[in-house]
Amino acid sequence: MPEHAAAPLLRPPRHRVDPRARSWWRTQALLTLSGPMLLTALVMAVLSLLFFPGALPWLGPLLLVVLVLPAVGYLAVMPRWRYAVHAWELGDRAVYAAGGWFWQKRRIAPLSRVQTVDTVRGPIQRRYGLATVTVTTASTAGDIKIAGLSCADAEELSRRIGEVAQDVPGDAA
Amino acid sequence: MNTPQGLGPYAGAPAATATAPAPEWRRLDARTLLVHCGWMGAPLGSLGLTALATGGRISSGAWITLAAVAASFAVVTAIGLIRWARTDFRVTRETFDVRSGLLTRRLRSVPLHRIRTVDLTATPLHRLLGVTVLRAGTAGSGEGSGELSLEALTVAEADRLRTELLARAGTAEVTEDPVLARISWRWLRYAPLTFWVVGGVFVAAGSVYRALHEMGIEPWKLGFVQRAFTEFGTGMLWLTIPAALLAIIALGSVGAVVLYVENWWSYCLEWSDARTLQVRRGLLTTRSVTIERARLRGVLLREPLLLRAGGGATVRAVAGGLGDKEENRKRSVLLPPAPRREAVRVAGGTLRSPFPDAELTHGPGAAQLLPHPRVALRRRRVRGLVFAVLPGTVLLAGLGAAFTPVLLHAAWIYAALSTAAVLWLARDAYRNLGHGIAGRYLVTRSGTFSRDTLALRREAVAAWTLTTSPFTRRAGLVTLTAAVAAGEEGYRIPDLAEADAPGFAAAVTPGILDEFLAHPS
Repeated sequence: MPEHAAAPLLRPPRHRVDPRARSWWRTQALLTLSGPMLLTALVMAVLSLLFFPGALPWLGPLLLVVLVLPAVGYLAVMPRWRYAVHAWELGDRAVYAAGGWFWQKRRIAPLSRVQTVDTVRGPIQRRYGLATVTVTTASTAGDIKIAGLSCADAEELSRRIGEVAQDVPGDAA
Repeated sequence: MNTPQGLGPYAGAPAATATAPAPEWRRLDARTLLVHCGWMGAPLGSLGLTALATGGRISSGAWITLAAVAASFAVVTAIGLIRWARTDFRVTRETFDVRSGLLTRRLRSVPLHRIRTVDLTATPLHRLLGVTVLRAGTAGSGEGSGELSLEALTVAEADRLRTELLARAGTAEVTEDPVLARISWRWLRYAPLTFWVVGGVFVAAGSVYRALHEMGIEPWKLGFVQRAFTEFGTGMLWLTIPAALLAIIALGSVGAVVLYVENWWSYCLEWSDARTLQVRRGLLTTRSVTIERARLRGVLLREPLLLRAGGGATVRAVAGGLGDKEENRKRSVLLPPAPRREAVRVAGGTLRSPFPDAELTHGPGAAQLLPHPRVALRRRRVRGLVFAVLPGTVLLAGLGAAFTPVLLHAAWIYAALSTAAVLWLARDAYRNLGHGIAGRYLVTRSGTFSRDTLALRREAVAAWTLTTSPFTRRAGLVTLTAAVAAGEEGYRIPDLAEADAPGFAAAVTPGILDEFLAHPS
């Protein structure tokens, strides 16, 4: 409860994720959303050019507004925005991570509740030398996911969480 | 992490079995085989009805169905026989072991101290045969941990096994009256106060239609149905439509009462000993859920809109080991729709301390909830206007402009009525928001369609999450979620002031957030 005059604020976690994460997110965006959208726009434009040239004056702007601009915008904005938000920190008693871009999430889980630490490297992530560390607790709403760490950082982090979690007394249940 | 279903005995077992002889392996009840054949009732029954309806002529489709039923019967019986013959179980001093499997023998051995809940469920068929299904829920609700289920045991055997599974040293007798609540049939008046009254009628009508359809009867082609519909259409609509609505509500209310009776017949909530809470209920399908006190993380008082208007509430347990979300919803109910005062009393009895009730301003159970910023009210209004008022109005107005001016009138009437409703609901939703700390409990309240008051043990919070969107960031709000290894897993406190949220979380669970807090000076 705010007993003091100025209520304490939650500062962002100390460490940013690896800068290469931006490229990883960009590739992901290209593969899942922006790429298919741009491709659809291209195919429709070509088809219209070949068979219905009369439709181009209205179809062109429509495609531009509905498909091309959102795809390019997502590709340009999302990775940078994400990079500005994503951060992590391993404190003495808790793990703290921030993620998301449009909807942002900051989660803190005490080390005494940590059950497992998983390190996952996806095929695209591997190309950029990145990894995702997931710290699970007994509650599914308490799992912390730190995406876009460099492999060295990920290894170091999971090792340290493992060490600290052993030292901190507590029940994992 | 040791997993309970690993092969081989649990690490602690050999020491125990060395001193005492290992207990005998026990079998399931042979009547289980008959239960497995119970599913045949529906297809055989519908086949018989078809034969009756068509005057004994059975179509080729029906013959195929019959053949399929016979084949399935053979397969199911064979599988059931194998499962019955190859499944056995025992309770050692430290573990509960279940062996199963025909070729791949699987031994699941769960330490007794990890068993949190025991659930006995018997469908009408089970009860006819005098058997019941036992499920033992273990700690950790994630996949893999799961539960052990034995289908089926005689009722006496199941009761004995439950006692064995939950018996541990020091089960002191309770001193106070162990019974928290019994069914009172005066509560039946709350049964129709659910949203399912109207929806349930349509669901029932749908299933009847499907059943008829499968028997080859098309209800729309029956003479009297068609006549009823034409008469309905040509009759005085201003009279027939309200009459039909009344009929649906009456039918739904009767259905709700019947369901209430089915679900809550001989309901009893009691502390079976100092450490286990037991709910027993059911007329045809009986259900008995046992929750270990150590796994009870809190209590949720639910007041759905209609029930709240009638002064009623229900109570749910926030407990671990009750299964996945679906099962948790069924098993966590501690009290059926009942008077609010009764619900608060039962919630307090479950917590063994007065339930922090935000409605009270003084007395032992009074809880002071902090209101949320005014801007949360604006958000609720805007949300309602954008998602409920706007689409309907635009749709009606568009159709009206295109086709008939009658719809234009419908559009402004809809806009006026829905705006009034949205504003009322938004105000209610805002006034229901609140959070606070009452002794060992975190107390939060939110919701308008269902006003939920949650009292959660503070030390049960396993993690904190703060979520924002661009809209809430602009409004200076944040949604705080407390992660718990029980119940719904995550409990949201929506739309707190951004400046208050970290301080509140730190006050609820001292020590977790402190190192990440910045104190502005």
